[in-house]
Amino acid sequence: MSGSVAVHRGSLGFPAMGGGEERRKRGGDDEEEEEEEEEENGVRGMEAWERAYADERSWEALQEDESGLLRPIDTKTLVHAQYRRRLLLRSAAASSAAPRIQKGLIRYLYVVIDLSRAASEMDFRPSRMVVVAKCVEVFIREFFDQNPLSHIGMVTIKDGVAQCLTDLGGSPDSQIKSLLGKLECSGDASLQNALELVYGYLSQIPSYGHREVLILYSALNTCDPGDIMETVQQCKKAKIRCSVIGLSAEIYICKHLCEETGGSYTVALDESHFKELLLEHAPPPPAIAEYAAANLIRMGFPQRGADGVISICSCHKEAKVGGGYTCPRCKARVCELPTECQICGLTLVSSPHLARSYHHLFPVTPFNEVSSRIPTKWSQKLPQTCYGCQQSLVSHGGKSDPHVSCPKCNQHFCLDCDIYIHESLHNCPGCESQHGSTT
Amino acid sequence: MKFQIEDVTVYFPYDYIYPEQYEYMVELKRALDARGHCLLEMPTGTGKTVALLSLITSYALARPSPPLKLLYCTRTVHEMEKTLAELRLLHSHLPPTHRSLALGLSSRKNLCVNPYVLSSASRDSVDSACRRLTASWVRAAAAEQPPGAVPTCSFFESYDRAASSGPDAVLLPPGVYTLGDLRALGREKGWCPYFLARQMIRYANVVVYSYQYLLDPKVAGIISREMQRECVVVFDEAHNIDNVCIEALSVSVRRQTLDGATRNLHRMAQEIDRFKATDASRLRAEYNRLVEGLAQRGNLALTDAWLSNPALPDDILKEAVPGNIRRAEHFLSVLRRLVQYLKGRLQTENVETERPVDFVASVSSQAGIDQKMLRFCYDRLHSLMLTLEITDTDEFLHIQTICDFATLVGTYMQGFSIIIEPFDERMPHIPDPVLQLSCHDASLAIKPVFDRFQSVIITSGTLSPIDLYPRLLNFNPVISRSFTMSLTRDCICPMVLTRGSDQLPVSTKFDMRSDPGVVRNYGRLLLEMVAAVPDGIVCFFVSYSYMDGIVNSWNEMGILQDVMQHKLVFIETQDVVETTLALDNYRRACDCGRGAVFFSVARGKVAEGIDFDRHYGRLVIMFGVPFQYTLSRILIARLEYLRNTFQIKEGDFLTFDALRQAAQCVGRVIRSKADYGMMIFADKRYSRHDKRSKLPGWILSHLHDAHLNLSTDMALHIAREFLRRMAQPYDKAGTGGRKTLLSQEDLEKMGEDPMNMF
Repeated sequence: MSGSVAVHRGSLGFPAMGGGEERRKRGGDDEEEEEEEEEENGVRGMEAWERAYADERSWEALQEDESGLLRPIDTKTLVHAQYRRRLLLRSAAASSAAPRIQKGLIRYLYVVIDLSRAASEMDFRPSRMVVVAKCVEVFIREFFDQNPLSHIGMVTIKDGVAQCLTDLGGSPDSQIKSLLGKLECSGDASLQNALELVYGYLSQIPSYGHREVLILYSALNTCDPGDIMETVQQCKKAKIRCSVIGLSAEIYICKHLCEETGGSYTVALDESHFKELLLEHAPPPPAIAEYAAANLIRMGFPQRGADGVISICSCHKEAKVGGGYTCPRCKARVCELPTECQICGLTLVSSPHLARSYHHLFPVTPFNEVSSRIPTKWSQKLPQTCYGCQQSLVSHGGKSDPHVSCPKCNQHFCLDCDIYIHESLHNCPGCESQHGSTT
Repeated sequence: MKFQIEDVTVYFPYDYIYPEQYEYMVELKRALDARGHCLLEMPTGTGKTVALLSLITSYALARPSPPLKLLYCTRTVHEMEKTLAELRLLHSHLPPTHRSLALGLSSRKNLCVNPYVLSSASRDSVDSACRRLTASWVRAAAAEQPPGAVPTCSFFESYDRAASSGPDAVLLPPGVYTLGDLRALGREKGWCPYFLARQMIRYANVVVYSYQYLLDPKVAGIISREMQRECVVVFDEAHNIDNVCIEALSVSVRRQTLDGATRNLHRMAQEIDRFKATDASRLRAEYNRLVEGLAQRGNLALTDAWLSNPALPDDILKEAVPGNIRRAEHFLSVLRRLVQYLKGRLQTENVETERPVDFVASVSSQAGIDQKMLRFCYDRLHSLMLTLEITDTDEFLHIQTICDFATLVGTYMQGFSIIIEPFDERMPHIPDPVLQLSCHDASLAIKPVFDRFQSVIITSGTLSPIDLYPRLLNFNPVISRSFTMSLTRDCICPMVLTRGSDQLPVSTKFDMRSDPGVVRNYGRLLLEMVAAVPDGIVCFFVSYSYMDGIVNSWNEMGILQDVMQHKLVFIETQDVVETTLALDNYRRACDCGRGAVFFSVARGKVAEGIDFDRHYGRLVIMFGVPFQYTLSRILIARLEYLRNTFQIKEGDFLTFDALRQAAQCVGRVIRSKADYGMMIFADKRYSRHDKRSKLPGWILSHLHDAHLNLSTDMALHIAREFLRRMAQPYDKAGTGGRKTLLSQEDLEKMGEDPMNMF
């Protein structure tokens, strides 16, 4: 080994060493001179395929089971555990705040996407930018699904400036299309510029709407033109709820921003975790007490236009045949719901939209976990199948799989049904069928 | 909360206690029971101070006689204030019948409220401005003349009037008094806070002050003289205590000092002439007093007390001042000869090292001053300056230094050496002769403390290896223990980086440090890290000259420009004001999200006293092993002394010293359990067992084997993972087996079942 060391030194033009005596005097630090460099010529020249393995660390997704075999880490129970933690957290927060919790159902949300230099990093595959774009697409659909009465807009940060990508609007497709068209990143990120821009738009929103900003931040710093603390205070005064999802590490200013404005700050571990964190922002947040004073909002329920009727569409400014909706107040035609009438400014919705927002106010209670360690004579009495999907809850070992039960109707559900009931169905099949039989 | 440790009821100001705090208290109590000294290492951020204060206070309450006094020594005024704040919190939790008096004591500069005195800039000039107003002869003159003719300090006068009616008149009510409280009280009552505090430390149960008040014999002689034996002395942050001890007994003399001393002597000669003409009786009286051999102090007014003899109390012979320096003019001529002799010695072209014995012999043969005269120089000067009614003591610092030197040389034969260097090692072209009397034996200064007081507690976050301190300080601890931190998550991530990304080893070893490959690898490391770590990063280099060199090379290579794209760069300089400004801006850059890197030097001011907690320091990189400058004459002499006297090998001591500095540097980054931070030791020598094992236990326990021999890209990967993991929400109290917060019930349960403790 030492031979190779000498070669390296020679080639690097290493300065001649001092005399032996001087070196001895230089003291305790190098008198124990033994050289122990190893793998001198090691990993430097890695092939591309090798690097792919080294970077991905795919072996970390494996674990040894009790018989010594390699298995992929059991993600299902892990995912479910995470989901349950979140669910319990949410319901705990709700029950501690007030018995009847108010939710902000009419949201005006700006999604700020950081497209600075840091977004091109490859630690998320294929790159942070692409992952963000994909997840935002999913998020926007989910958002409109859960909040039919809300509006979304997009802002990007690039080269130290913030640009408005889309205005606040209700249609998911146009938003997604304009995002995917603008995917390139460069320059520094500026949090202040983004906040100022969003503040400019959101401060004009009527008081019943919930002003929110969701920042997807790749960079680890922010290059601002002025004092960002003032901007944070400004947002706080304007009751804009700022949330940040970081892609690499916790940044103090983001944490400060979220704490001040009542938002949440999270940092993604990996791609799936990022998606999960992003989707947590889809359900409406609890309304902030001080401006949750109930007030009436004038809304219109437009009629669907008959087929074959030609009318001038107020949103596209051209004549269209058939379809569309007619504003009940000014009789203008709009293409999509929900929206605001371009002519008279009336909020136009359809009744299913209102109904879909309703479930946030009466969520299904979280189910209790049924321990699999109940002694066998007890587990005999327990139902063997899931009440939801009729699949067996007993695994081949005779032990019952981990599952949950509804505290109200005591029916048992498998983990998949648990998630489905709470996330999509918003009704407990057990309780509903009981209702049916008793009444 | 309130709990029992054996037979003592402990009052603790918080609802929960960390397990290590509890253990710490148990050990501490045993040491107090044994009336012995102890050595305790516990990581910073685990509430060492509050554990210490609450146990000792509770112990004193449980054993009211003889009354136990706590002397708590801190390094800086800032730490003093923090300690007093903790103490105040503790006091609010004590039962109301057990109120005690606690106060902080600092110099006049920090306590004075007289606006005229405070306008002076430095500590010495504040002292002398105070003396100018309060010296006994000034006050006597003021009493004779019409009011206003001679300025005096109104605060001191009213304090003195109050105090003259008996010590009870000025006794403070029980409570905790910070420096700010004392000043406020002084303003309100019109009393001088400094002298009030000086008076009150006799009655106080807890005194918080600086190391110097116990270790520096000059100060300790006046401040801490009257402390009884039943004291518990705590040295907090004491990892550098041996250096403090050594500095207390070391003197260095430069050419400016000698020139200043000559000027002082001129002025004193004039004063003597003036007195001879006007008031010869004063000089006569002084002479008589010296003949009778009265100790100078004792019957002096409080305000005239001056820094006392630099030698330690036991070493001062109870003798009269020798006859040939009793007359003022004779003494002055002795001093003149001494200064002349020292000037001659400074003319030398070569480095000279001498033992005190040789030096004294040569002084006596060439200047005709024998050892006994040398030894009494300081006391004689003191007496003379009082006689001459000199109040502007800051002008006379130079001659004081000379006398200080003379007394030390005349008193100690062992453990010192005299080193004369004609120029600074690093700048051989600029002549800057310096004569240093350097003390090698840290145990000399601390010995009286160990002998006088019942228990001495030495504690810090970094005392490893813990067995070396008793040898350096020459004492027998009854307990020496190192505690680790109980954590709910692995919030510190130490790494040893041995190679750059090109797999070449990195080190600041003397023959490698200027290698462009090493410089580039260090630069790449920094560059990768600034891109991956948010907010603040602190870098420590081994010396100023090395930092200058490497920053220069990085600048030429363009690495610095790339770093600036991610974070702003701030650099510590030797100038205090500049460094303070840099630190201030560094914090602001971290706050506003721009991110910043701070370049600092191990053993510098920043490494010792500034915390880089939370986002101010997410990562600290230690470039190299901070060995001392091994060619320094003082170090060589000290190493030799250590080997001969304490059988400590040079290598052992150097490694120990370097590693405690490194640990101190990286320890800046984590100050509480909720915090998190990474530490990179960037030098291949850290991977060796003999170096690594000297790191404190709380770092070693987190240093996984997988993190021992990293290259830059591996370190980067680990850093990214770590930062993501730490950003996740976490459970503060800990669950299940890893309980890190104990409530009162937990402790009671533990008390019932002592076998099942942890």
